[in-house]
Amino acid sequence: MSTVDDPRKSLEFLQGTLEVLILRSLQTTPNHAYGISQFLERQSEYEFLVDNGSLYPALERLLQRRWITSQWKKTPNGRRAKYYRLTPLGRTRLVAAKSKWMRFVEAMARVLAPVR
Amino acid sequence: MREWWSKICRALDLRSGLENELSEEIEAHLDLMTADNIERGMPPEEARAAARRAFGNRTRTQENAREAWQFPRLETVLGDIRYGLRGIRKSASFSMVVILTLALGIGANTAIFSVVYSVLLRPLPYPNGERLVWLGESTPNAPGISVTWINFEHWRNESDSFLDMAALATTDLTLTGRGDAVLTHAGLVTSRFFQLTGARPALGRLFTDADDTPGAAPTVVVTADFWQRHLGGDASVVGETLRLNGKSYEIIGVLRPGPRFFSRPLDFYLPIGRSRGTSLKRSDHGSMRALGLLKPGATLTEARTNLDAIMQRLALTDPGPEDDHRAYATYLTEERTGEIRPTLLVLMGAVGLVLLIACANVASLLLVRSTARAREIAVRMAIGAGRGRLARQLLTENLVVAAIGGALGLLLASWCLRTLVLIGPVDIPRLSEASLDLPVLTFAASISIVVGLLAGLAPVFTAGRVDLTIALREGSPASGTGRRGQALRSTLVIAEIALTFILAFASGLLIRSLIAAETSNPGFEPQHLLALELQLPESRYKSDANIRQYYGQLSESLRAEPGIEGVGLVMCPPGAGDCGDWWYSILEKPTPARSDVPMTLFNIADGAYFAAARMRVLAGRSFSDADRAEGSPVAVINAELARQSWSDPQLALGQHLKVGGPYAEGPTLEIVGVVANVSQMGLDAEQMPTFYYPFSQKPSSAMVVMIRTNGDPAQWTGAARRHVSAIDRNVPIQSLRSAEDWLGATLKRRRFATLLLGLFGALAMVLVSVGIYGVINYWVSTRQREIAIRLALGAQRSRILRWATFDATRLAALGIVLGAIGAWGASGWLKSLVFGVTEHSPLMLLVAAAAVIAVAALAASIPLWRATHTDAVENLHES
Repeated sequence: MSTVDDPRKSLEFLQGTLEVLILRSLQTTPNHAYGISQFLERQSEYEFLVDNGSLYPALERLLQRRWITSQWKKTPNGRRAKYYRLTPLGRTRLVAAKSKWMRFVEAMARVLAPVR
Repeated sequence: MREWWSKICRALDLRSGLENELSEEIEAHLDLMTADNIERGMPPEEARAAARRAFGNRTRTQENAREAWQFPRLETVLGDIRYGLRGIRKSASFSMVVILTLALGIGANTAIFSVVYSVLLRPLPYPNGERLVWLGESTPNAPGISVTWINFEHWRNESDSFLDMAALATTDLTLTGRGDAVLTHAGLVTSRFFQLTGARPALGRLFTDADDTPGAAPTVVVTADFWQRHLGGDASVVGETLRLNGKSYEIIGVLRPGPRFFSRPLDFYLPIGRSRGTSLKRSDHGSMRALGLLKPGATLTEARTNLDAIMQRLALTDPGPEDDHRAYATYLTEERTGEIRPTLLVLMGAVGLVLLIACANVASLLLVRSTARAREIAVRMAIGAGRGRLARQLLTENLVVAAIGGALGLLLASWCLRTLVLIGPVDIPRLSEASLDLPVLTFAASISIVVGLLAGLAPVFTAGRVDLTIALREGSPASGTGRRGQALRSTLVIAEIALTFILAFASGLLIRSLIAAETSNPGFEPQHLLALELQLPESRYKSDANIRQYYGQLSESLRAEPGIEGVGLVMCPPGAGDCGDWWYSILEKPTPARSDVPMTLFNIADGAYFAAARMRVLAGRSFSDADRAEGSPVAVINAELARQSWSDPQLALGQHLKVGGPYAEGPTLEIVGVVANVSQMGLDAEQMPTFYYPFSQKPSSAMVVMIRTNGDPAQWTGAARRHVSAIDRNVPIQSLRSAEDWLGATLKRRRFATLLLGLFGALAMVLVSVGIYGVINYWVSTRQREIAIRLALGAQRSRILRWATFDATRLAALGIVLGAIGAWGASGWLKSLVFGVTEHSPLMLLVAAAAVIAVAALAASIPLWRATHTDAVENLHES
């Protein structure tokens, strides 16, 4: 493992981050799995590469916790796809998780920032 | 919590659905990606391939997603099961013993439970069978006698505890006009009977209230079986007539085949109200009983109180000789199984003990093995397996073994059950319906699990206490042999011996009782005695003179047959049971109080009967030609009736027996003789007081002709048939069998119960010997080296033997003492099954003790022999 970060490689998700990001991606509008991965990749400016092997189990876990629900619907170009949507419970969880992650990121940044 | 719930739901019924949905979702994902690629200008083929590449490993994605909805523990449980199976294969002979022991225990229990379920527990095959109540009347000393028509009508109309009520009785009628005369069995019922028992017509209709009133045209509803056998299964029989006892009955319907209600198969039904409805007196009895359907929510006690209130009211408004009669009400299920219930419960208890012994055995074997596995367990603990995880694994292993044992047990049970149904007495209701159905399978599964857990607990408890440092030290042979394990094993052996003792005691008592019953003096000579049961058709033999003449002629012609030494007539031969009982009193004795009037069986016989049966006349004489029809009425009583009133049979002669007692109508008979008691109710029944009417003064159309032959009575059956049909071919023969058959039939249930209990006793002996062998063998093998050293130092073999047997003897003694206490306590349960001996038989305790000691000694002798013949030199060299 190289000691220097290689900017050509995309970032891996930290434990628990993917679920928060999924919730965030559904905040404004319901979306299907492919749409969620597209959204995350685009929003992170392609820093995150969503691995389907992690995405699907994460969706399943969120369904089981009733943070999201799913429904089969037509996409704009006519293909049927399974759309996920935030539940009210998911929405409150997202708020809590967001503030927690913001604190975490700030704390990380403060610690990692070069000592002046 | 919520997560778990949704997992359970999904695991239960959505598995395959989820799998499909996931597939479809991924398909959509690929399609959407392909579409985007095409939009970017890729050719379709390439776009699809690119999408697949970008998606990644589809199988892994599916597997990962699947895991999210699975129970992670399932995997480990499956692992434990696999591990358990491997363990079974690895120590095949050990596992074999354990599995066989369990299979025997579970199999025997399942088979007996199946019988108990079918006979005692299974709901009756009628709609609302659990609310059907059997109704009769009760006198202060005779519960459950017949109900009279008037009382029944009042109950039916005035009771508010019942939704519906029907009266029923049976009778025998002679069918003529369709080939030879045949004796047929009829059910006499009110119209509601069919609704209550769920019977439906296949053809025509059933009775209505109009058929069931006096003066209605005579109608009959035939059973499906009778329709097939006698009416050729012809659909046009509805509207035809049957000649029964010389009267014509119109066939109005044919029943569908269905569950039987009466214990004997019936040919047809007649409306009972048509003939009985004219009855006027509340004391006019006629073997009628009633069937009631309780209102939902009404209790049996309420129903009884309700009917009793009606009876009390009737006593005031319509007083009669039976004003002290009350209602008898019991659930039909209990009425049907009351007699066999104690026997089956004793058997179930006994087989339960066998299962406990099997359990103790397996526990003790598993303990021995867990000691041997102490190292393996220690290693697992050393590398970090938690105590709970280990316990779970051991339990899973035991459950696997129990499951295999249970499956094998089921096989065994299905075989046993078939044998049981074959050899079981036919008079046990619904025995033939016993099968391995759902409730029985559930029972088998639950006892397998309980046994697995019970037997598995012992090693689990000790497994937690393994001392790692000792167990892991190389070459310590006694690793894991804690005091605790040893004590537990000893306790188990004591328990096994005690339980076996109880079973040995119980089966000993039953075997002793059976011997007593088989060899009990029946009071007459049943060998070489043929019993020919006849029922003269009423239409042809209307008057007493006709009946007397027929039987007189038959007796004469049979006496002329070579090899026949005597011919006598009796209404109710020994072993035939209760053919009627009634109150009586002795005129010369003080008049008994109304509630103390004694009861006696009554019978009818001619003078030749006592000689033909070789019954001893204890005092006076038997009947003679002097007892003419129009002469003064006489009676012969049995020794038991004489004993109840006189110190010496001679004193009874010349005194007078009032039939019906002081408060009911009945003739007064002069006692002319006292004869020996015979086994009327069966070889294993108590003696009942009985008196005999002379056939000449009270002729009956239904008699049994007792024929004394000078050889095997079977040789004269042909001759008997010939003589009967030579006189009148319209007289049907009801039965023709030896007196020994009549008597032997009374012991069928006893033989059945004794055989089973004996088998359970034997099974217990086998199991306990395996258990004792195991424990002693283990003791010897752990002390092999110590024994070798002692021998090498010059110890005598007898000394070693004494040392080795000391422990075993102590265990056996303790087990026997506990068993004796248990057997003494449990013997009360056996009271109803014991005959000829007391259930508190000290001799039987000694016999049981001797049997258990013998088995224990035999089982211990093999390892003990090995112990005392240890080759000291070789053994010490080895190690």
